[in-house]
Amino acid sequence: MNETSSLQGADGVPRPGGTTAAAGLLRALLKGPLPLYLPAALFLLAFFIVPLGYVVVMSLTEPRPGLGNFTALLGSRHFLMVLLQTLQTAALVTVCALLLGYPLAYVAAGPARRLGGVLLGVIALSFWTSFLVRTYAWMVIFGRQGPLSHWLASLGWRPPPSLLFTSTGATVAMTHAMVPFMVMAVYAVMKRIDERYVRAAQSLGAHPLRAFALVYLPLSLPGVVNGCTLVFITTLGFYVMPVLLGSPNQQMISGVIGDQIEQVLDFGAASAMSVILLLVVLALFWLYHRFVGLDRLWSR
Amino acid sequence: MKSLKTLAVLIALFIAVPLFIVVPMSFSANASLQFPPSAYWWGNYQHFFSDINWMQPLFNSLYIGLATTLLTLALAIPASFALVRHYFIGRTALNLLLMLPMIVPQIVMALGYYLYFGRLHLTQSFTGIIIVHTCLGIPVATLILTAALRSFDANLEHAAHSLGAPALTTFWLVTLPVLRPAVLVAGLFAFIQSFDETVIAVFISGRDTATLPRQMFNSFRMEADPVISAASSFLFILVLAALLLPLAVRLTRRSSGSAAGHLAR
Repeated sequence: MNETSSLQGADGVPRPGGTTAAAGLLRALLKGPLPLYLPAALFLLAFFIVPLGYVVVMSLTEPRPGLGNFTALLGSRHFLMVLLQTLQTAALVTVCALLLGYPLAYVAAGPARRLGGVLLGVIALSFWTSFLVRTYAWMVIFGRQGPLSHWLASLGWRPPPSLLFTSTGATVAMTHAMVPFMVMAVYAVMKRIDERYVRAAQSLGAHPLRAFALVYLPLSLPGVVNGCTLVFITTLGFYVMPVLLGSPNQQMISGVIGDQIEQVLDFGAASAMSVILLLVVLALFWLYHRFVGLDRLWSR
Repeated sequence: MKSLKTLAVLIALFIAVPLFIVVPMSFSANASLQFPPSAYWWGNYQHFFSDINWMQPLFNSLYIGLATTLLTLALAIPASFALVRHYFIGRTALNLLLMLPMIVPQIVMALGYYLYFGRLHLTQSFTGIIIVHTCLGIPVATLILTAALRSFDANLEHAAHSLGAPALTTFWLVTLPVLRPAVLVAGLFAFIQSFDETVIAVFISGRDTATLPRQMFNSFRMEADPVISAASSFLFILVLAALLLPLAVRLTRRSSGSAAGHLAR
């Protein structure tokens, strides 16, 4: 763009100075990143932030303006139990997923190439399989005529218990679903650990276990933190598995919100519960950001 | 190390075995969830592929997934360029905005869309679900694309430019082909995310626009339809085939291709 073209319009007639400055600014913006990100930003503002705003506004205005929904919920023993139950379940699933995921990722990142490939293949298979398919599999396994009941009966447990529609069953299924997430987060970090550190510790006389605990484990810790954060937060918001597999009497918070929308039609309470769930999740992300940095959670 | 390997294999079995149970179940002739089944037949698949109540949602899901993929890429590709190649005020805020749909629990958004789309008359419409799935697809697509862009060698573009190629030509002939794998992976993630999304579809899609996950979810709740086993097994085998296909290709290439490879050289 040269001087004359910015001072004159397409028809060659000089424009007033104000318009030229505005046009210049507009042109500068159009040459910059604005047109690249504006569509995505506007799309998310219109179709993500606004509906999210609806929930917040609804929680503060329905049925009447004020904090009534929140004081009612926080004074309700039942709701606090649901919240506690949800946090407990998420914590339990996170610990179990870590206990199962860490050794698997450790072997997969180790020297046994072929075994590692098979292990990662199994993880990928589970990761890509629809949540509903995995839910169906657990319905069969936990069912009254399922393999688990058969097996327990053959061990002499009569009548064999059915884990279907119990919170234990839902917890097992959610753990099974979350192990792949944990493995991928931990594996990404483990793969970059230089094994010479561990060998150096051993050649200096450290017992293999001691070398693992003092050298390898601390180096893999960032992956553990990432995995635990992702799994805990995902489990807090789980809907499908707790609703289909869990106990109707010990629901997690997502299930309660769903009931409020579908059956009770109490949008004020549903919105307030949603805002509380959202605040818990955002607080956890903020903590993570504070101590680790949010950009590390996803980027490798 | 030996016992550790055994432990890892046992854990992998815990992950894999429950998934494979859906295959024999889909051939079960029993009406109930009995395992192992007392008799086998093809009937569940016949019902699945001939029943409009299952085929309609399957095609709806494919249509919604395809539209979502295109829209997600159209929005996420330019935004990723802005994030990686430019520094501007509000870049961090933009990054956070693009990641937000991955952070907010889906039940919260299900309620939000239920209220918002009710007002916009978008509930039970394809447009509504495509919009929702695009929002959910943007974060993961952006993550994949920005990662690929960061490792992109800008010298390739400089070379094209210095040889006289206009900016747009450079983009089409140099930048995009180099990024093609990342674009394909980002598109695949967006599609599968849409094809799998259950929670919001359950609350906002109607009878005619029902997606496959919604149909499956509702039929789980009724606990009546054995066709669900065929639907589950169908989806599982699709994933299994997609994962095993590259492996099979590599194996056949290695066994029959080593001699041919020598000859070709």
